[in-house]
Amino acid sequence: MLTASVYERIGIAVGSTLLALLMGLLIVGLAGYDPLQFARDLVAGAFGSERAFARTLEHTTLFILAGVAVAIAFRAGVFNIGVQGQLIFGGITCVLSIVWIAPFFPNGPISGTVLIAIGFVAAALAGGLYGALPGALKAYYGANEIITTIMLNFIAIGLVGWAVDGPLRPDDARSVRTEYLPDNVGLPQLVFENPNFSILGLAFALAVVIVVTVIMTRTRFGYDMVTSGYQVDAAAYSGVASKRMIVQTMTFSGMVAGLVGATFAIMIQGYFIDPTGIGNYGFDAIAVSLLAANNPLGVVPAALLFGAFDSASSYVQIESGVPVQLIDGIVGLVVLFVAAPELFRMLAVRTGLGGDN
Amino acid sequence: MSVVDYTANRRVQLGGAILVGAFLAGVGAALYFEIPLERIFTVGFLNRTLTAASPIALAAIGGLYAEKSGVFNIGLEGFMIIGAITMAVAMYLMGGTSPSQPHVWLAVVAATVFTLLLTVLYAVLLIRYKADQIVAGLAVWFIGLGFAPFVASLLWDTIRSPGLASVHRYSIPVLEDVPFFGAVVFSQSPMVLLTLGFIIAAWIVLYRTRYGYWIQAAGDNPKALDTAGIDVNRVRYATLIFSGAMAGLAGAVLIAHAGEFIGTGDTNVEGRGWIAIVAYLFGNYNPVGAALAAVLFGGLDALQVQFQTVDIAVSGRLMGLAPYVGVIVVLTIWGKTKMPAAVGEPYEKEQ
Repeated sequence: MLTASVYERIGIAVGSTLLALLMGLLIVGLAGYDPLQFARDLVAGAFGSERAFARTLEHTTLFILAGVAVAIAFRAGVFNIGVQGQLIFGGITCVLSIVWIAPFFPNGPISGTVLIAIGFVAAALAGGLYGALPGALKAYYGANEIITTIMLNFIAIGLVGWAVDGPLRPDDARSVRTEYLPDNVGLPQLVFENPNFSILGLAFALAVVIVVTVIMTRTRFGYDMVTSGYQVDAAAYSGVASKRMIVQTMTFSGMVAGLVGATFAIMIQGYFIDPTGIGNYGFDAIAVSLLAANNPLGVVPAALLFGAFDSASSYVQIESGVPVQLIDGIVGLVVLFVAAPELFRMLAVRTGLGGDN
Repeated sequence: MSVVDYTANRRVQLGGAILVGAFLAGVGAALYFEIPLERIFTVGFLNRTLTAASPIALAAIGGLYAEKSGVFNIGLEGFMIIGAITMAVAMYLMGGTSPSQPHVWLAVVAATVFTLLLTVLYAVLLIRYKADQIVAGLAVWFIGLGFAPFVASLLWDTIRSPGLASVHRYSIPVLEDVPFFGAVVFSQSPMVLLTLGFIIAAWIVLYRTRYGYWIQAAGDNPKALDTAGIDVNRVRYATLIFSGAMAGLAGAVLIAHAGEFIGTGDTNVEGRGWIAIVAYLFGNYNPVGAALAAVLFGGLDALQVQFQTVDIAVSGRLMGLAPYVGVIVVLTIWGKTKMPAAVGEPYEKEQ
């Protein structure tokens, strides 16, 4: 994958997605449903109405941020599978810090904005710390980060799930949740009339993409980070402290993951819930990042694709009765095909398409 | 004494010291908080520990064979989920909601064979098409997490299977009444015995047969093995397919004990495939060591039930996190394992 050109990478991404979708349609057919109807519902559920499109953009916003979080780590050669846990920690910290600090502020739009800023900073700090932990364990104790981050996901889900059902649950709450965020904390409805989506959230996600791209391509830190991913020895010779780099990368990645949690809490939920009820944004983000060849700019179109998948899934189940979990399976197939670029190269040679290598 | 022996020895000493320390700390805490130890460490606890350890040990044996030969099968968790759903579906198709014991055993075979066949495709992708071993392994997990509840949904309209059947314990009359041993050895889940058999066989094959040496050489020095006229990739195909089959068996054994498939969240497999990877790292790639590590993690898993039976007011949900915390502690202390030299590198024969 590292030696592939930009066109090859795009080809691999498109090929993987199409192949996975094709297999998905085949499975739909084998299960006794109408594949064409399924395909139509998939498009209608994602883009068919203004409501569907707003929902697609809502999911896209989270996938952009989560995808960037994964891309930062993968680009530096660190496998952060823990974005889900980091976003959960970031999200709960965001809600708690706002709820605790809000009484000291007057009610109004300006203090609302300040509280949102505090919430995002708190989420980034919490997510960054939760990412720094496996980073440090890898750097200084050699603990495999794939496994520690997966374990920390389980721990985040269990710990936060226990807390929102125990000490953090208000006495009058009928469901498992924290206190509500104050009324003045929330993103305004512009352009789309969807209470869970604000174009400002999407703009924020895109701004993060630009900032991360600039850091990765235009700064010394970013250069060192990417070099340690591709050329460990070269990075060491140019004086990069590889251990500290691992911790810094994981912290950076975790901070962006924390922002996913804050966006989820402020833009969508308005409070925090049992983390088992939060979508698997952190996991699907791995597919998003891989499709984008771990390039933050490429994450945007990949996130739109996955936002569309997620947005369509409930619509598809209602309209054609196909269980929503199929979409998760298709995501898995996409990742599997992305992992094997050789497969597409050989296919290309066999079929005579771009068979120059 | 060579450097390797020295570090291995130090690891054992360090590990021993930590285990003793943890044990003393536990006893101290128990005395301080007046926790009835004799009511926690019961025969029932030991049996639950062995039951919980079996699937982890089976998957760990498969995983260590693959890694010994130079391929990292990070898809263990995914293959366990696939084995688990296949087991549940096979039981249901044969015996509805009340499968008989022969149905249970046939379903174990079906789940193992089905997972084995899927691993053949996976092995082709990894070895012939040189897929990224980490990314492809994660993909198997996602595929399992998606398709297992999908299949459950198609069959039962919900992502959870109805109550099916658990495997029956065998019990040998008279002998089962022997204090302690009777209840552990002579009245036990047959799956625990099956696991024990696999552990012994895996140890013998790896360390006492020619094929075992080939497996080790394929991971440590593939070039030498090639020079000796053995096809490196053929050995790797064999171990990788074996590891998938073992993970499938592990998933089936998990369901044989649980008696149902749960598709919510991370399914009933709940990270046991990942824990299996840590078990064989902790066990230093030795099947016996991996099995002992699996017993440790199984014990942490079973502790949850024990605490409930003696009314210790710890949330079940928090206690359920013990194995995951244990894994992180183990990886932190044993992180720097001596991996086979050529793990993760596709082998290409020089022409």
